[in-house]
Amino acid sequence: MDMNGSERIEAPVEVVWRALNDAEILRQCIPGCERLDKASDTEMSATVVLKIGPVKARFEGAVELSNLDPPHSYTISGEGKGGLVGFAKGGADVSLTADGPQATILTYTVKADVGGKIAQLGSRLIDSTAKKLAAEFFSVFGEKAAGHALAATDAG
Amino acid sequence: MNDMTLTKEQREARLEGMGCKRKRVEDIRFTQGRGNYVDDVKLPGMLHGDFVRSPHPHARIRSINKDAALKVPGVLAVLTADDLKGVNLAWMPTLAGDVQMVLADGKVLFQNQEVAFVVATDRYAADDGVNAVEVDYEPLPVLVDPFKSMDADAPVLREDLEGKMTGAHGPRKHHNHIFEWTVGDRDLTDAAFRKAEVTIKEMISYHRTHPSPLETCQSVCSFDKIKGELTIWGTFQAPHVIRTVVALISKIPEHKIHVIAPDIGGGFGNKVGAYPGYICSAVASIVTGRPVKWVEDRIENLTSTSFARDYHMTTEIAATKEGKVTGLRVHVLADHGAFDACADPSKWPAGFFNIVTGSYDFPTAHLAVDGVYTNKAPGGVAYRCSFRVTEAAYCIERGMDILAQKLGMDPAELRLKNFVRPEQFPYQSALGWEYDSGDYHTAMRKAMETVQYEDLRKEQAAKREAFRRGETREIMGVGISFFTEIVGAGPSKNCDILGIAMFDSCEIRLHPTGAGIARVGSKSQGQGHETTWAQIIATELGIPADDIMVEEGNTDTAPYGLGTYGSRSTPVAGAAIAMAARKIRAKAQMIAAYLLEVHEGDLEFDIDGFRVKGLPERFKSMKEICWAAYNSIPPGMEPGLEAVSYYDPPNMTYPFGAYICVMDIDVDTGVYKVRRFYALDDCGTRINPMIIEGQVHGGLTEAFAIAMGQEIRYDDNGNVVTGSLMDFFLPTAVETPHWETDFTVTPSPHHPIGAKGVGESPNVGGVPAFSNAVNDAFSFLGSTHIQMPHDFWRNWQAAKTLGALG
Repeated sequence: MDMNGSERIEAPVEVVWRALNDAEILRQCIPGCERLDKASDTEMSATVVLKIGPVKARFEGAVELSNLDPPHSYTISGEGKGGLVGFAKGGADVSLTADGPQATILTYTVKADVGGKIAQLGSRLIDSTAKKLAAEFFSVFGEKAAGHALAATDAG
Repeated sequence: MNDMTLTKEQREARLEGMGCKRKRVEDIRFTQGRGNYVDDVKLPGMLHGDFVRSPHPHARIRSINKDAALKVPGVLAVLTADDLKGVNLAWMPTLAGDVQMVLADGKVLFQNQEVAFVVATDRYAADDGVNAVEVDYEPLPVLVDPFKSMDADAPVLREDLEGKMTGAHGPRKHHNHIFEWTVGDRDLTDAAFRKAEVTIKEMISYHRTHPSPLETCQSVCSFDKIKGELTIWGTFQAPHVIRTVVALISKIPEHKIHVIAPDIGGGFGNKVGAYPGYICSAVASIVTGRPVKWVEDRIENLTSTSFARDYHMTTEIAATKEGKVTGLRVHVLADHGAFDACADPSKWPAGFFNIVTGSYDFPTAHLAVDGVYTNKAPGGVAYRCSFRVTEAAYCIERGMDILAQKLGMDPAELRLKNFVRPEQFPYQSALGWEYDSGDYHTAMRKAMETVQYEDLRKEQAAKREAFRRGETREIMGVGISFFTEIVGAGPSKNCDILGIAMFDSCEIRLHPTGAGIARVGSKSQGQGHETTWAQIIATELGIPADDIMVEEGNTDTAPYGLGTYGSRSTPVAGAAIAMAARKIRAKAQMIAAYLLEVHEGDLEFDIDGFRVKGLPERFKSMKEICWAAYNSIPPGMEPGLEAVSYYDPPNMTYPFGAYICVMDIDVDTGVYKVRRFYALDDCGTRINPMIIEGQVHGGLTEAFAIAMGQEIRYDDNGNVVTGSLMDFFLPTAVETPHWETDFTVTPSPHHPIGAKGVGESPNVGGVPAFSNAVNDAFSFLGSTHIQMPHDFWRNWQAAKTLGALG
């Protein structure tokens, strides 16, 4: 399943890019993320609790950043195993465009797949849940990144 | 004697024999919660098994780590394919001549495939153990669409078959090809198409669905190490076959295997096959020395034990301008999933699909079936139908409607024009069957008169005009189905399972007081055998049905039989019952002659005893004869009154019926209403009309489910997305329409009591009636064929595609 969207963020491209590479900010933005540990600049491990319809499970998995083109775009992808419940994998192509000096348009294309029991029981809810989660991620990210920019300005 | 004070009618009524609407004797225990199902079997020290299943539809298994699972309190063992290899059971033979993994050996081939078997002291601990088994998978490309299975670059599913270009049914054309099966005269058929004035061609799919009995598949295995005996309680439609299969693959001598099928909560074909759960619970019992129970949950049942259908039928009919059919050409792409575990008689890879000429006199026909592997659950069972007969009936009944549409002819008229005529029976079909008896025209006309068919068509025409004028958003469809089944497998000349001829059997013992027991090789799953079998004996022997106990399902006591599926119980076991009863009656006649001091030939059977011809007062009742059989038998005769019969049927039986469905569909919402459903069945001699009616109600309800929404659907990634009753349609009283039943009687000429079987007719005939009603409703908007299942959403989609939405 694929979905697209965009967010306007009140922060310069450079600041948004830094936020996109900040594990702590990503942790706060990924819905249900309990833990996100950085293994390298592009590799992280994560624990995410995901609920689709009647199925709720804790997924252990890896998050990877690739196709890096600072400060314009990258691909963030993740793959998690939820034991008996199945597995989930997904990714987003994210790109940033300046909207004047103090704002950025973030556009994303998300691809997500689930398998196992979570797909069997929640099939009719997967699309809507994935859309909701993606929207939630990018809107929270927008706020955090803007807050980040504000904090940076205040400090300066 | 007392009986003589009763009238003939009273004596007959007292027997509750054939033709009587006798109440079901098994319902006394079922309605009081006293049934005894496999899950009611509780043995001292019994363990519980549960499966680790694959979330991936196609993946290599890098490793399986049992350590954490073995530390879960209560877990005693975790079996994997490597463990089963030690006893040569990692793979097992299927009924279709293929092999199937018992536990995943190196890779998984469908989602929810069995990967490991966890054995624990209770089911909860087993589940915890399942959760703790760590399996490392390497996902592989997934093959879901059968039409892509034989592409050059299609992934190799069955690595075990690499290089084997010949399967159980001949050459394989591709690494995902299972078999090609052809019947009929290709040249003659091609010639008929070349000469045809009118032809139609349509790809008609019969989607994958599942029998989904209320009770899932289950087993309890108990191995006695001291005696070396294995006892298996299981949900088996064919207990003797299971015993033989277990003997062949386990090397335990067959007399030391006891298979017991207790009460079964519905089978519908799902409980014919042998499943990994049976094997694993048996091996686990042998390993632990304790009884092991395995009970499938609902998701496991829907996603792993045998599915049904998944036939994609490219159908062509040739005809004259006047609507006389001249040829039929069908190609089927059959999706068998990951293993060919299709439950058909061994020589029939596509079952009896060659009944596809249906009720019509096709001078020539040709059929080719290609079976293919995909990353889906294995199976291909006959879900409430004889082997692939419902697919065949759907194919031809849809095809005839499409032809009628092309000819601009009424579909009922087209059928009447092409029916096999009564005088043509026994009728030799172009695809090799000999239909035993039928009177199609009478049945069809009776159905049309009852529903006032002409008036329905007039109403439909008026409604279509009103729709065009924008006065209504509702469209009306009239669905006709005139099916001919082929049931009662079957004659040893062409039917066997693993080499065992498909006869059936009965043993009757009459006791001194005139009561008795009948043990039969069939196995009821709700069909009411305890009631109807006793009725056959009551009529044949003149003993009240209430005095006959019927027992099935215990391989130690029942004579060898091939079980119950494919509507074979009445045609085969029912015949064995009548034949065993007749053997007893012959001996009873000799005893009666001795008692009455006359020659045997001077006696005639009269309802419940023997009478001297012409001397009505000289009479011996069967009750008296039973007593005499144990104390005053003729000199030289052995005492007792019992007989066994193994019946090898000379032919199949061919029940038929005329069904008409009237449906209204709201084009803006896709919501349909079944306004009327009329089902006329001809199953030959009727043993218990109430049970027949119940069978027809149940079968129509399942047909309604299948046609109107029930489906096992996979997404593009190979996930089963209809794995629970949230998404898999099982109609309740809320959705189920009202059924009208009717009948004609055309007895089978070769069956001892003329009976043909009925349990599956309503499913076979029902599905095309519903689908034809939907298709008929939409046809005036320009469609020729809309694929099943016809749920609200698909109806709305059809309306949208046809431009019928405002």
